[in-house]
Amino acid sequence: MPSMIETRSVVVEYPSVRGVLRLYDQGVSLKLDQGDFLAVLGGSGWGKSTLVNVVLGLEKPIHGSVTFRDHDVTRESFVKRCSLVKTAAVFQRPTALPQMTVSQNLHLALSLAGVPRKERDERIKEALAFFGLDKIERSYPDGLSAGQRRRIDLARALAVKPELLVIDEPTGDLDGSATNLLIPLLRGLNRNQGTTIFMTTALPRQASQAKHQVHLRQPMVLTPENRMIGD
Amino acid sequence: MEKPSWTPIVLSGAIPREATDLLAILVMGIVALETSLATIGPPAFNSRLLLSLLVVPPTCALASVSTTTRRTREELALFAYGGSAWQILLRYFFRGAIIALAAFSPIILQGIIATASVFGLILLVIALFLAGGLFYSLPSLRRIRSSSFVENYKS
Repeated sequence: MPSMIETRSVVVEYPSVRGVLRLYDQGVSLKLDQGDFLAVLGGSGWGKSTLVNVVLGLEKPIHGSVTFRDHDVTRESFVKRCSLVKTAAVFQRPTALPQMTVSQNLHLALSLAGVPRKERDERIKEALAFFGLDKIERSYPDGLSAGQRRRIDLARALAVKPELLVIDEPTGDLDGSATNLLIPLLRGLNRNQGTTIFMTTALPRQASQAKHQVHLRQPMVLTPENRMIGD
Repeated sequence: MEKPSWTPIVLSGAIPREATDLLAILVMGIVALETSLATIGPPAFNSRLLLSLLVVPPTCALASVSTTTRRTREELALFAYGGSAWQILLRYFFRGAIIALAAFSPIILQGIIATASVFGLILLVIALFLAGGLFYSLPSLRRIRSSSFVENYKS
């Protein structure tokens, strides 16, 4: 059975004032099978979010390849990747549409994901209640706190019921109680619904909750610890 | 020690140099040109209309770039929800087209009432639709294709 996602020797470069900045000099190779829960652990500025963008097709590597279910998607868009593996992404920075209410944001995301109209209301109600957003479902994101906006993103991603959930620093902007809820929720999703999870974090304690971990180490080279290829 | 001066702040930013400044100058310049031509003598309807049409591209581009921060957030959200680049472009293309058509609706209505040439009227509507849509969506295309766009997902 093919891997759900595989990156092989991925290298990313950025132009910077001091020349070209190369991330993952040795190349990132990792593999994610259906039902996996992988945590990428690394410090701030070590390339965790870039790796998320590479997996989602928002940034293209200069070397290496990315495959989704054995299809080479290195040069393909996020939309194309979603057609191969139903994917939902939660980024570090909240992304809710400012001119739509919390509930309308979720409706839009579900309709783009092709969820039938009659199912949407139920799923949205569940997701809003779970993240404690039911009382502010008619509020606009701009009037909410960073933590609440983060929860909107999480509710939106989980309401889609994705095969693959890509989540960049899941507990950033969340308060203690929401943080304590989230990681068990992700584990439950992974265990009970078989959702494959790709998560980045700077917190070793959080990473240890995942089934597998890879550690990014300075100078932005991914060192194999688990689930690496060619090792 | 020299006395602190307030002039560098004013003088360093007094000269218009942003793209939005240029667009504003263009819009006002075209309107001013039209007004000054009207005082010289009554121009033919078509030449005045063509001059008015020149306002559409800079005004639509100005409307689009003046809300870049908010627009970028919209684009980031739509991508995160699974939208594609062309869907986002179409969204802004239609918005720009509607803006141009709404703004020129008095002229379109006048054309319909005066039973002007149908061909000319259709041509006018197509020109407004394309110019409004194109110039409203182009800044978005530029933003989405920029290498720094996805950096906005990172904190």
